[in-house]
Amino acid sequence: MVVNIEPAMRRSFTAGPVFWGLAMFVAMGAIAALRIVGLIDALASLALMLVVGPAMIVPMMRSANRLAREKGCGIPAGRRYTMRMGVSSAAYMILLPVTLWCWQHFRPGTVVTVLLALAVVLPVFGMIAAVARYIVEETDEYLRHRAVNAMLWGLGAVLALGSLWGFLETFQLVPHVPGWAAVPVWAIGMGIGQLWMGTGKR
Amino acid sequence: MKNRLKVLRAERSWSQQDLADRLEVSRQSVNAIETGKYDPSLPLAFRIAEVFAMRIEEIFLKG
Repeated sequence: MVVNIEPAMRRSFTAGPVFWGLAMFVAMGAIAALRIVGLIDALASLALMLVVGPAMIVPMMRSANRLAREKGCGIPAGRRYTMRMGVSSAAYMILLPVTLWCWQHFRPGTVVTVLLALAVVLPVFGMIAAVARYIVEETDEYLRHRAVNAMLWGLGAVLALGSLWGFLETFQLVPHVPGWAAVPVWAIGMGIGQLWMGTGKR
Repeated sequence: MKNRLKVLRAERSWSQQDLADRLEVSRQSVNAIETGKYDPSLPLAFRIAEVFAMRIEEIFLKG
């Protein structure tokens, strides 16, 4: 009896969407670190973020689409998710440095500051909505199961790291971290969950 | 839950993609079910039985 060895099992490593997502966070962190230590000024950090962010979203979206095709799940829900997430991420990467720069340089009044905060948080809402829509629209029950598991990994990461950091902050061992860090931690947790499931674990 | 999906598929010379197309699911789903990583829902189990023209308990085994 001949049983085929599936091509996906023999596939060598190629940079996937998780790789590009993590690379983007690392690059943004590096730019922020350069700005904090004073090696670059505000304008240079803004320019770098505007270039690096969108430049990494394109390969991330392309690799996500390629992965979907390779895994035989070129299902519209997956494609729509990639597109929505890509648009939201690109908008976030552009609006984050722009709003920060505007706030630092113009110190606007309360109303404009609230509008700036809304402008930068709307793409974040878009990312959360993209994940939610995917769960609703995905007709393949196994892929939906994996997505829900990955979301739980992300939620677990936010709760665990948030609680740990909160106590460390209370005990004055670590500096304050803004609440908006929750979404990046959630996304990284989701990525780790996907990697864990990809290794053959449930 | 154990299953005979891989054997039944091989008997028909179907690839995982062939079976996935017949079931209207992703190839990943077929692979996960075959390797026991994922137990299908009852509706999907009925579809699998229908595709192989067998009863569910002839494909899925306890343990």
